This record gives sequence, C-alpha cells and structure tokens, in this order.
Amino acid sequence: MSVTLRGRRRRDGRLGARNHVLVLPSVVCANQTATLIGSEPGAVAVVHQHGCGQVGDDVAHTERAFLGSATNPNVGAVVVVSLGCETIQGRRLARLIERGGQRVAFVGIQQLGGTFKTVDHGRLAVGRLRAELEADGLVEAGLEELVLGIAADGATRAVRELAEAARIAGASVVLAVPEGARGDWEGAPVIGYGQAAAAGISVVEQAGEGTEQHLALAGAGAQVIVSLRGPGRAPQGFATGPVLAVAGDPGIYAALEDDFDLDGSSAGAEDVWRRVISVFNGEQTASEKRGARDFVLHRIARTM
Amino acid sequence: MEQLTGYPRPDGRWGVRNHVLVLPLHSAANLAAERSAEGLAGAASVGHQWEGIEGDPDQERIASTLAGFAANPNCFATVLIGIRREDTAIAKAAVRRGGRIHLVAMADHRGTAGTVAAVRPLLERLLAEASLTQRRPMPISGLVLGLECGGSDALSGITANPALGVASDLLVAAGGTSILAETPELIGAEHLLAARAATPEVGRRVLEVITGFESAIRDLGVDVRGAQPTPGNQAGGLTTIEEKSLGAAKKGGDAPVAGVLGFAQPPERPGLQIMDTPGHDIEQMVGMVAGGANLAAFTTGRGTPTGSAITPVLKIATNTAIYRRLEGDIDLNAGAILDGEESLESMGRLIYRRLLEVAAGELTSSERRGNREFAISRTVSPMTAFSG
Repeated sequence: MSVTLRGRRRRDGRLGARNHVLVLPSVVCANQTATLIGSEPGAVAVVHQHGCGQVGDDVAHTERAFLGSATNPNVGAVVVVSLGCETIQGRRLARLIERGGQRVAFVGIQQLGGTFKTVDHGRLAVGRLRAELEADGLVEAGLEELVLGIAADGATRAVRELAEAARIAGASVVLAVPEGARGDWEGAPVIGYGQAAAAGISVVEQAGEGTEQHLALAGAGAQVIVSLRGPGRAPQGFATGPVLAVAGDPGIYAALEDDFDLDGSSAGAEDVWRRVISVFNGEQTASEKRGARDFVLHRIARTM
Repeated sequence: MEQLTGYPRPDGRWGVRNHVLVLPLHSAANLAAERSAEGLAGAASVGHQWEGIEGDPDQERIASTLAGFAANPNCFATVLIGIRREDTAIAKAAVRRGGRIHLVAMADHRGTAGTVAAVRPLLERLLAEASLTQRRPMPISGLVLGLECGGSDALSGITANPALGVASDLLVAAGGTSILAETPELIGAEHLLAARAATPEVGRRVLEVITGFESAIRDLGVDVRGAQPTPGNQAGGLTTIEEKSLGAAKKGGDAPVAGVLGFAQPPERPGLQIMDTPGHDIEQMVGMVAGGANLAAFTTGRGTPTGSAITPVLKIATNTAIYRRLEGDIDLNAGAILDGEESLESMGRLIYRRLLEVAAGELTSSERRGNREFAISRTVSPMTAFSG
C-alpha cells in the first residue's frame, strides 16, 4: 500500500475526508430549527424543501437520499431534526441512520415542545457528538480507499479520462448522469441509489440532474466529488463534502471564476486528479471556502 | 379597533410589511442571497433548489412563482440575484406584476463574494428608502388573506378551521380577499364548494381543478392515501382524506366562491378565492404569497413553527394541549372553543381582530423566530424521473 490519503477512520472501517456533524431536518418544516441548531460550532445544518406530502416510491427515494448523506464517511455524526407529523418520519430516519453504523441524535419539535426547547436539545447533542467523533482517529491510507464521485451531464471525454485516471490509480469511481445518459457507460455496473460504489467504475441509478447528483454520489460513499458540467452551467457545492467545480467553458469560468476550482478548457484529467488527492487531504475547494451548503433532493413524483 | 394601516404600492395594492427581499433566481445564487441579507434589519432572503435546467417542463410555473413572490406587496423592493444579466425574463415578469425589482447578475461579479459586495450597498440604500415610507390608513379591501391548515388533527374541522371560516367571512364581507387552497385537501368537498360558486363558470372551474388533481395523482399509479392524511394527521385522529377535506374546507367559511386561481396567480377581484396548490404546507404558502397574499392564517392540530419570509402568518392551535406544548410557536388557541371559553363565533371574531392587529404591524410568533421556509412547487418531476 502506498500511502497517499489522510483521513478519519470511521467505525465501519471507511475513510472520511472531512469530519462533519450534520444537522438534518427530516422535513422542510424543521428547517429553521435545524438552522438554529447548526449555528453551534462544528455543525453543518442543511435545509431542503421536502419530507412531507410525498407518495409512492418517491418517499423511499427521499429517505435513501437522507440516509446516504447521513452515513457518508465525511460525516462523523448526525442530529436528525423532526417536526413530528411529517411523511418521512424523523424518528424512523434516525433509527435507519443508526443501523447504518452512524452516531445519531434525534430531536423532535412536537415531542420536545416547540422551537426553542428543540434548539437547546439539538445544540447539546451537537456538543456531545462532536466530542465523541474525536474517537475516529486520523490515519494514513492508500488510494484504494478513495471513492471519487463524478457529477456530469453525460459521457464526455473529460468524464471518461478522469474516471480512467482514477481507476488506474486504484480508486473507485462512481458516476452520476441524467437517467437518459446512463446507457453511455456500457459494461459499468449500475448501483442502486444509496448503495455503496462498486470497485472500479460504477454508475448510480436515478441520480437526477445537476446538483441533485451530489446527494446520489454522497450516498454511494464518495468522499470527493468532481462536477464536470456542460458549457454555461453555474458551479455548486455540497453541504458535507468537497466538490471540485470544473467549468464547462472558458466563458462561464471567466464570469464566475471565484466560485470555480478549475477551467475545464485548460485543465486536463491529470490536473483534476491531482487536485482530487490534495482536496481529500484537506485542501478546501471553492465551494467549501465560500461556505456553500447545497443539498438538493431528486424527486421522482410530484408533491401531494 | 384602530384604523388599519399599511404601505400603499404604486400599482394600487397594499403591503402590511415593508421588507426588502433578496431572492435567488438559481440555486447557485442561494448563498449570495443569504450573505447579502445577513445582519441587515428589514432585509429578508430565501433559498430554493431550482437550477433552471433547460427543458424543465415546470419552467413556466416556477418562473411565475418566483416573479409573484418577488412582487408581493409586502416587499418595498426586491433584489433578484441571477447568473447572467441576459436572463431577465423573471425580473420583467415581476415588474409586470407590480414589483419594484433590481436584478444583479453573479457573472458580472466573478461569483458569490463579489456579488455580496455589490448587493449589500444596494440593500442598505433600499432599506434606508424603505425606512422613510410611513404607514397610511388602509382599506380592508387591501388585505389578501391566505388560509392554511397544517398538521391537522380531528379537532381541526371542529374548532380552528370553522373559527377561521368565521374570520374569513368577516374579511370578505368587509371587502377583503381570502384564498382557500390545498387542492388535495378539498377532494371530497368539491360539490359543496362548487355549489357556492358566484357564477356557473367558477363552479365548473372548482370541479375541474379538484377532480383534475385527483386524476393526476391517480395517473401516477399511487394511492392518495399514502400521503393524505399524513402519519401525523392519522395519529391526530383523521381517518380519511374526505374527513380531512370537509374540515379543511371550513377555513373558507360560507362566503360565495368568487374565483378560481392557478398556482401563484393573483386574484382579479375581492372575495373568497380557491387556489390550486399542493397540500404541502410550504409549497402552498409560497403559492399564495406569490399570488399576492399579504397576510396568512394557519391552523394546526399537531403544531408547526413554520412561517414566511415576507408575509406574516398567524398560527392558530386547534386544541389547548398543543397550544401550551409548543409554547410561543403558536399565536392563538382555538382550543378555547372546546374548553367552553369561546364560541365559534366569538373565536372567529377574535381571529379577525388579531389578523387586523398583525396587519397593522404586530409581529407573529414565526416572524419573531425568523421562520422563512420556502419551497418550489412542481407539477411533474424533472424529465428523467419516470424512466426508472
């Protein structure tokens, strides 16, 4: 094993590139309470717009997205913030997260009696979990422990070259592309949404489009995501992991230079791959520096 | 009761608040919007998850939602943050809908940091201007009240909803406008609402909208009962969607139905309106606010803290236990009806009076807590969704 990665050794044996405490509302109605809890040092609160009024397979799909983000190795502990009457029940979600091997605390607004009491309980939980996750020691490891996620619009040359460079170096690569472009990856195994990436190159099912894909990749265990979007697309990050944003054309790179990491018209696969390693080992991406907390759920049915 | 006051807008509408709103037009602008408004009293921002990906079948609906929200009369002015300066369609639509709009493009400022640096001085200038405008005597007809219930229980249809219906009837009788929404929660009550339509055409539209929603759900191949009533509703004693609906429709009182509105569409005349929205609390609230609701009333049995960034939301508990339990998150207790302290009529008058006080400037619980939930409503999921 050649040592090139430094990260947190999680209880389930995986390696984390970051050490976040995620504050996760199980429903949009808990967003503000989660945000107030997330102001506690060392916590990252996400907000989203779902968790209620959902039907059919869409419920399970959203639950898998929550679960995947909560059990990604970049996250060392989770506080689930529930309202109480939502479709995606927070308590059940917390149990699933715990069963997934993660440290988890649960706070419920209706159960605890309102915003302020829930915020108090949630902040205490963050402090407690923060101390606990120090047990996940910093270790050195080989590239075979890296899961690289690539978010893309299709099977472009840049995507293929980066995936190949990572694979040859020994990393696992998981790709998220719109459902219609999944067929471009002949021979690559398809993994279900929320399933762990396979060795080599695999493609995740129902990953959605654009920034939605970041959640699909986190759910497959990716510690670093590279966003290789087409021309003109704006750069976005992910709440609990680094996203290397590569501009799809020189025009959009020049216009939004501060929010991109690389210009795809001048950076080749080897340049991106080198950055992936240094980002894994602690270098902050543009989205991390600016504090982007993007967390976009892919829906497969309309809201009721 | 003192004279109602508000902020007159150039297009004749009235605001009951005087916010300066920062609204992203693309989710990549969320952080810039939030940072721009941070720490500036009177400035509000919301975030959302729309990226405007080409070919989005809900493009028109979402653009209309964002334009209407930006143009709500509770905003003195709105700063829209987009990606490119050429993308002006939503800003133009917001201006047509009566908004005072400034558009800032991130591409002109190299990204988030530069955009925030450009927007903050603009906000400070707009806030200074806003602080110079004063409340004026306002007619009741300037009020557009959004009616909502969330986290319903078996008491919703017995206490808070019918009491809110009394308040809505008082508002409508005084020349104001009320919006009843949550289409899935009207399923089963459509015949009663259609019978109250002011014209045969409105009656036809009532049936069309409610049965249309039902069949759209059926086409998905799912049972409406998977989401309605929700787990919380069921724990609260509601057994069927019909039962929930008959209770939910009571928020609209007994007034004639004056109009039927599409999602985020502004009313054309005063009186009771029905807006076609999902039952999702936040999508519904955003739809009504985008349609011009400058005031909202929200009944809750299980208890919910949510609010709106720009429209004050008066929350009403259906039972005393939840009112006490969620101390301070709920404004009024309609459980007093069951406790024998108020009648439906007296509770309805109390709600009406509190609504006028809130319109005149009194802050609601969710305003004090800074709740600003926001969600984009879709009619279809993005294009690839059904292939799996």
